[in-house]
This record gives sequence, structure tokens and C-alpha cells, in this order.
Amino acid sequence: MGSDRGQGYPMGEELREPAALVRPLRAGPFAVGPLGVSAAIAGLCLILSLCVVALLSLAVGASPAAVLGALASGALGSQQALTSTLREMTPIALTGMAFLLPFRAGFFNIGAQGQLELGALAAIATATTLEASPALVMTAAVLLAAVAGAAALLLSFSLKIARGASEVTTTIMLNFAVLEFTLAMVTGPMKDPAAFFGTTLTAPHAFRLPAVPAHTGLHLGIWLGLLLCLAVDWIARRTVFGFHLRAVGGNEAAARAAGIPVRRVMAVAVLLAGGLAGVAGAIQALGVVYRVAEGWSKPWGFVGILAALLGGSPVGVLPAALLLAVLESGARHMQAMTGVPSALVYVLQALPVLLFLTLRSLPAVRRLTAPPTAGSLPPAPPRLGRDSPTPDRS
Amino acid sequence: MTEWTGPIEFALTMLRSATPLVFAAMGVLLAERSGVLHIGVEGAMLLGAFAAILAAVMLDPWTGVAVGAMVGLLAGVVLAVITVRLPSDQVVMGIAFNIAAVGVTSFAFRMTASLTQRMVPPLVSPGLADIPVVGALLAIPPLAWPAFGLAGAIWYVLHRTGPGLLLRSVGESSHAAAAAGINVLAVRFATLVLAGMLSGLGGAALTVGWVRSYSDNITLGRGFIALAAVYFGRWNPAWTVVGCLLFGAGEALAFGAQGAGANPHYYLMIPYLLTLLVVAITGRARAPQEVGRPYVRA
Repeated sequence: MGSDRGQGYPMGEELREPAALVRPLRAGPFAVGPLGVSAAIAGLCLILSLCVVALLSLAVGASPAAVLGALASGALGSQQALTSTLREMTPIALTGMAFLLPFRAGFFNIGAQGQLELGALAAIATATTLEASPALVMTAAVLLAAVAGAAALLLSFSLKIARGASEVTTTIMLNFAVLEFTLAMVTGPMKDPAAFFGTTLTAPHAFRLPAVPAHTGLHLGIWLGLLLCLAVDWIARRTVFGFHLRAVGGNEAAARAAGIPVRRVMAVAVLLAGGLAGVAGAIQALGVVYRVAEGWSKPWGFVGILAALLGGSPVGVLPAALLLAVLESGARHMQAMTGVPSALVYVLQALPVLLFLTLRSLPAVRRLTAPPTAGSLPPAPPRLGRDSPTPDRS
Repeated sequence: MTEWTGPIEFALTMLRSATPLVFAAMGVLLAERSGVLHIGVEGAMLLGAFAAILAAVMLDPWTGVAVGAMVGLLAGVVLAVITVRLPSDQVVMGIAFNIAAVGVTSFAFRMTASLTQRMVPPLVSPGLADIPVVGALLAIPPLAWPAFGLAGAIWYVLHRTGPGLLLRSVGESSHAAAAAGINVLAVRFATLVLAGMLSGLGGAALTVGWVRSYSDNITLGRGFIALAAVYFGRWNPAWTVVGCLLFGAGEALAFGAQGAGANPHYYLMIPYLLTLLVVAITGRARAPQEVGRPYVRA
């Protein structure tokens, strides 16, 4: 089972295993490591993204300074703007964790968006049907959302374990299937009979996540999200499970030889990840929109992947998510002030991350960030013909 | 225009839906045969799909198809530089590339909305369809011919010619190939550029060849469906085409059921669930040995 990355194969001067190629990708500018290099690259990316803004703004006929100013003031300019930025940040950070956790063990969860949608649906279904004390209903909603998200990812994981099906394909397919399922639910069985478009009933006031402190707009979900992210960071760095996760991701065969229960470690990571994405859905549903409707969601799950790739480590995901959320929440203000389409932020979110990852992979940069022992290992014996087990990508 | 109903209409919808998949799947197949996991197929398709519509509105549909292929080729160059030349992790970079492609196309779509929100004319002028025999032949989507022809040609080149053997050898054992004097990086680079072009062509076949308009993220996972078709076909062009037709049939079924008046969203799940099912049944297929492994010159 699992992927074939991590098995030794003959490499050149300083690179002897695929892990050495993946490693620089797993360390973002906020990750601990050779800080100077990472910071320099992050700075370069910032300059490059500013150039992208400038070019695109000029192409549209707006002044780059006005565009950036509007973005910043829309995201950070007032208490209301700040609150909405934090509300955007929560699902991005949680889905970022949902990508990062299994990624550490070599499993690609690209299905966070679908898991989030399922979680939101489960939370709304709970809040609109269950009648009990608010605390009980909210807890049940969040837990059910976690179960829904985990179940979706577990399906992809089981297909990988049992049949060798590539999770890259299955999680993406589930995203689209879940999207259609959500639409079927909000226009069908769960539709609010009084509404003119596809939407569920609205969650009763008592079952909406309350603001903490009161009247600030900082709903309980933001704090829950933050807490969960910090918990993941602690798990990844301070527990045996976190160590096993890194071992499996670094070299699966070696981890198995060392007696680490590889499958169980991956299964736990997968369940946690699906659960986190599901909770993100519940938080958006019960804390921000109070119902699930046609086209209710933003692409949080995909921006979360970017946050994970940029952040590189659980603790790095938070600042990365904040950065991406600033862009997301400033976008509407920017469109209103300058006339530049808010879709600009999707370019701004994705291109710098792609650039960042590319720069990190430059051989010269990789040499600077590689662990000191990498160059001193003896060359691995060449692999001949078909003697090794078949790489099991489906 | 002749009105088709029943099985013939179903078959035509299947062909229309399968054509973009065949182009994209051939790109994926070539890339994987040379040892590169072409996750960026979705993004390259999307970029091609958008560029094709833009060019089709400004010039004419056939130019649109050509421009779609060219933009796909450029996407292939970018992907080749990142995943072959550097090299970097093929899956991670593919994912990031796809997200970036969604961003770039949504922004460009809004910037050019006055042009790209129009319907483009069909590839064959409707007047010809009234001629008896020619009209019946023209009912078959015009890009289906080159798509299926291409699949045959790729089968022949891969399995019956020297360059095909060379490409496969690079995918099976890059270092053995390098020892035999083959420039592994050059072969993979060229293959991925070609794969990008075919992906872009697939996108163009989707927008200009079929839907004739554009909307955000219009490929809707078709790149990954093409990927699944290649797995289903076990890296063999003929069986991959069968896989594409199967997914085309799933989509035709979804559209057919949708027309019958039921809640369409249940049926629109069919192609995706079918893909899941097929991937699960196909299971642990024997991939080219080196798929996904970056090559670094020893």
C-alpha cells in the first residue's frame, strides 16, 4: 500500500531519494529551518506577486497602489473588516491542516472542499431538526460534521488500501460528486419550502455559534478553529503519533521495518483530516451563513491546500492562512473601489505559491536548504529492471 | 438539421463528451509512459478551453482550436520546466498548477467578459447538415475523427516504432535508458510539452467543439477523469479510448435522465461516481515503473 515515494533509487550528487525532493516543499517560509534562505525566497515571492498585481492592475487600467490599498483596507481597515478576515481564515486554516496532516505521511487529500460541504450539510441538518439545549445541539452538529467529513475521506483511503486506487483521483471525484449531492439536497429533500431558490432552512438563532466576546462578530467557531489548529501542531510535534507520521512520510519501507504500524498511522491521519475539514464546514454553516444554499461556499478547500503548501508545517499554516484570507476578504472592497474583478485574488493566491514552490526546488536553493548529511551518504546501488515491487499507483 | 432521438442521440452525446477526454487522456498516457505523472492535465485543459473560446470569438472556431492547443503547449512547457527540468514533486506541483489555472482563467474570463460570454459558431456550418449523407456524417462531432485517429497513431508509434520504444524505455527505467545513451530529460521534456498540447486541445474540444461557450472552471474534473481513463486502459491507447467512451456514456446518461425531468443533480453525480467505481475496479494496475519519480542525472 501507500505510495512509492521514499524508496531509495540512484540519484546524483546531493539527491538520493525522492524524499529529498519533497522535503524542501514541505518547509514553508514560516517553517523552522535555514531561516535566511526561506525568508529570502518568501520576500522574493512577495515582490513577484506585487509585480503581478501591478501588471494586472495596469492591464485593467487601475493604479496598482489603489488596488493594493483597497485590498488592505477591505481586509484590515476596520473592526468589521478584521472580523470578516478572521472568519475567512478559519476554514482556510482548517482545510490546510486537512491537507497537511495526511500529506506528511504521503497521502494527498485534495478533497477538503467536498468534506467541508458535507460537514456543513450535516451541521445544518442537525441544527434544523434536533430539538435540545443549544450546547447539546451545537456539539452534536460539529461532531456529526466531523464524522461526515471523515467518512468521505475514509472512502478514498479504503479504495487506496483495498484496491490501490490513487487518492489524487478519488478525492477530486468525490469533490464533484459531493457538490452535486449538496445541490440535490438543497433543491430537493432539504429545501426550504418557502424559498424561491435552492436553500435549506435557516438554523434557529439559539443554535448559531455565539460571539465570544459578545457583540464582536468573533463567533465561537473562530476560536474552535484556532484551538484545533494548535492541537494539530502539538500532535504533529510532540506526540508519538506525530513522529510516526513523519517517519511514514519520510520512508514508508523503513518505517514499516522499524515496527511502525504504517496503515494505522495513515488511517488516523486520514480520519483526523476529514474530521477537520468537516468541522470547517460546520463552523461556516453555524457561525457565518446559518444555512446551506446553491453556491454558498467559496473555494476554501483549495485555498487551504495553498495555505498548507505555503505554510509547510502545522504552525506555519496559520500565518499562511491569514495572508490568503486577507486577500479573500479584501477582494470585494477592491472590486467596489477600483473596478478590478475580485477574481484577481485567485491569481494572487495561487501564482505566488506556485512561484514559491518552484523557487524552492531550484537545485541551488535545494543545496542550501538540504540537511547537512545528505551529501555524505554513499550512492545507492542502481535498481535493475523489474526486481523491485510494482509501484502501486492505480 | 436532422432530428435524432433515442439511441442515436445517446451515442452522439457520448461521442461529444468522450472527444475532449480522448485528447486529454492521450496526453496523460504519453506523459506517464515517459515516467511523468501529468496531474496538471486539468489546469492545462482549462487554460486551453478558455483560450480557445477567446480566439473563436475573435477569429473563427478552427483558429480557436489551434490557439487552445498552443496555450496547452505553453502550459506543457511550464509544467515540463517545473517537474522535469528542476525537478520538483510532480503531484504537489500539479495540484498547485491546477489551482493557479482556475485563478488565472476566472480572472481572464471576467476581464474579457464582453467577448467570452458569447456563444461561438459551430465548427461545421449548419447549412451543410441538410445534405443527406454528408449531413449524417457531420452529425458526428468533427473533432472526434482526429481524436480517435490520434489514439490509433499513438498506439502505432508507441508499440511499433523506434521513438515509441525509446519513450517507453525512459518511463520504465530512466537510468538504464540513460546508460543506453538516451537523453532522459529531453525525452520527458518533449513528451510533457506534447502532453500539454493535447490537454489544451482537449479543453478546446470541450468548449469550441461541444459546449460552444465558457463558464468558470468549465472542465469540472474532466482532466482527472481522463487520468482515470488511462488507468482503466492500463496505459494502452485502445483500452484508454474505451475508458473515455465509458465516461462519455455516463455523461450522456446523466443528460438523458436530466431531460426526463428528475432532479438533475442526482444524475450529474453519475460521471464522478462512475469514475470512482472504475478506479476501484481497475485497482492495482501495473503502471510504467518510473511514473512519479523525478529523474536527476547521475
